[in-house]
Amino acid sequence: MRRDPDLSAVGPYADHLGDGLVQMSFTLPVPYSLAARRAALELAAQMGFEEPEVVHYEELTEGYTYFVMYGRCVQTVDFTALADEGFDIEYMGEEEIERFAAETLGRRIVVVGASTGSDTHSVGIDAMLNLKGYHSHHGLEGYRSFETYNLGSQVPNGTLLAKAIEVNADAILVSQTVTQQNLHIHNLTELVEMVEAEGIRGRTILACGGPRVTNELAKELGYDAGFSKGTYPNHLATFIVRELAARVATSG
Amino acid sequence: MLSGLTDSAERLALVGLAKNTGKTEVLAALLRELEAAGRRVGVTSVGRDGEAHDVIDARIDKPPVRLAAQSLLASTDSLLSASGVPFEVLERTDIRTPLGRVLIVRLKGSGAVEVAGPSGADQVRQVSDTMLALGADQVLIDGAIDRRAASRPDVADGLVMATGAVLGEQVEEIVQITRRAVELVRLPALEPETPLSRWLTGARAGLPAGALIGDALEPVELAARFVLTAGGRQIGELLDASPVARWLLVPGALPEAFLDALATAARARSRSLTVIVADPTKAFLTDRDLGWYARQGVELRTIEEISLLALTVNPVAPQSHRLDSALLQKALGEAIADVPIIDVLEPAHAGAVRSASA
Repeated sequence: MRRDPDLSAVGPYADHLGDGLVQMSFTLPVPYSLAARRAALELAAQMGFEEPEVVHYEELTEGYTYFVMYGRCVQTVDFTALADEGFDIEYMGEEEIERFAAETLGRRIVVVGASTGSDTHSVGIDAMLNLKGYHSHHGLEGYRSFETYNLGSQVPNGTLLAKAIEVNADAILVSQTVTQQNLHIHNLTELVEMVEAEGIRGRTILACGGPRVTNELAKELGYDAGFSKGTYPNHLATFIVRELAARVATSG
Repeated sequence: MLSGLTDSAERLALVGLAKNTGKTEVLAALLRELEAAGRRVGVTSVGRDGEAHDVIDARIDKPPVRLAAQSLLASTDSLLSASGVPFEVLERTDIRTPLGRVLIVRLKGSGAVEVAGPSGADQVRQVSDTMLALGADQVLIDGAIDRRAASRPDVADGLVMATGAVLGEQVEEIVQITRRAVELVRLPALEPETPLSRWLTGARAGLPAGALIGDALEPVELAARFVLTAGGRQIGELLDASPVARWLLVPGALPEAFLDALATAARARSRSLTVIVADPTKAFLTDRDLGWYARQGVELRTIEEISLLALTVNPVAPQSHRLDSALLQKALGEAIADVPIIDVLEPAHAGAVRSASA
């Protein structure tokens, strides 16, 4: 008999609603031993997990031990206060995007992307823009309705911005590995500020992506959207075509 | 009182030199003072304010943003609903953010709220004007991280800049970075009522990519995107083609890489040039100060000035170190003239340290 979850107090689910079970894995820089196992249990308890349990542990390399643990999370969040248009987008599929773009815009959408500054990772931007894409979802290059320019990695903000102006880009896509040490934060805000300085913020969609990028972070950085792990090219494309269509509707 | 120093600015921008320089504490302090004075505020944020934990480092707790009843506010529908403070919607804007659509509301009770207004500077100006028209005595525009665009003179009337221990473990380091940032934000205006300044008023709009200008005021227009892309060789060729040019008008972004290459080219030719930006937020300099460029023969001037009303200090770098507030304020005061320096968390910040005049 299926029970409805209480959306005002949502917690992790494993076997039954409300069990709060979490599976986690981490590595400790200690030798594989019973003491290592105790350390993992104590750490999980400090994290606030009740009934922590080590279900698997092994030596990762000398002096390092890898753990898989279960624990019961007793905290909950009020989901009813969170669900809203800003978070939940129903993504369109590729054909739907093509149709929507043709009907509402009637022209190709120009996207310029790069990994900026000292960031050498171009995996994210390649996955979004290049024909190959990933997990058999091809990138925006393969869409009839998109015209894409992938400038690669370690691109200065000025170069990216100049290209965007040159090709009259509808959207600029930046990929950055944001770290807790804020390493690439300045790169991301500087691009936004330079777009402002060039006077094209109002007509340019700014999207950023990276392993730790959320919509909350995007807002703080000054971007129109943030994309993280689990984003497929059609997610990005859906956002861009919907945003452009909304702008057309507002200005028309 | 910070509110007394800043009440001349109907639209007041708060800008930090980095994350965690204490902007939200400054906003909270201003809100307390303005509430006590019975002033009705309007509040917007180019980022997000009032969230419980930092978006990048969740270990850092953020101060709440408490607003008095009747305050005006630009924020997204979902954040407003989640705050639990009753409000009346005055305007549903067309402005979309990653956190939802921006509404302009009047609070019907007092309480802590999350603020996330428009990110773009033009839209910030738009919602600020709307809140003033709807009865706000003053609009506070909170910045995010190190973003400055909303302090542009055509968006805000005045600026409070926030600095702090997060910029470095040594007082000297913090002072140096802060001094440079203040110097840039207070970039001197072109001398008014000169043939150049009078000519620029009319000619600027027709030179969107910028231009080299000599005493004859016959501009040599730059190629599109020249300032964003040109390297030393192209800059050298440009200078050589206009041997009498004294000014370089840069209407858009001025990246440090361009200014560096220009300084090298000018020095190699024993040329002096004054680069003219539209306003200080257009200049992107971090590694060098204006004095260094001046020594290479390149001066920087602005068409529109920014009015810096106060400098605030956060002596704490979250999850890292803490400095002595009085010492830091004193060191800043010795390096930076003519701006009040305040730590809003000091009990008696009303007696702000005024920096010595230079």
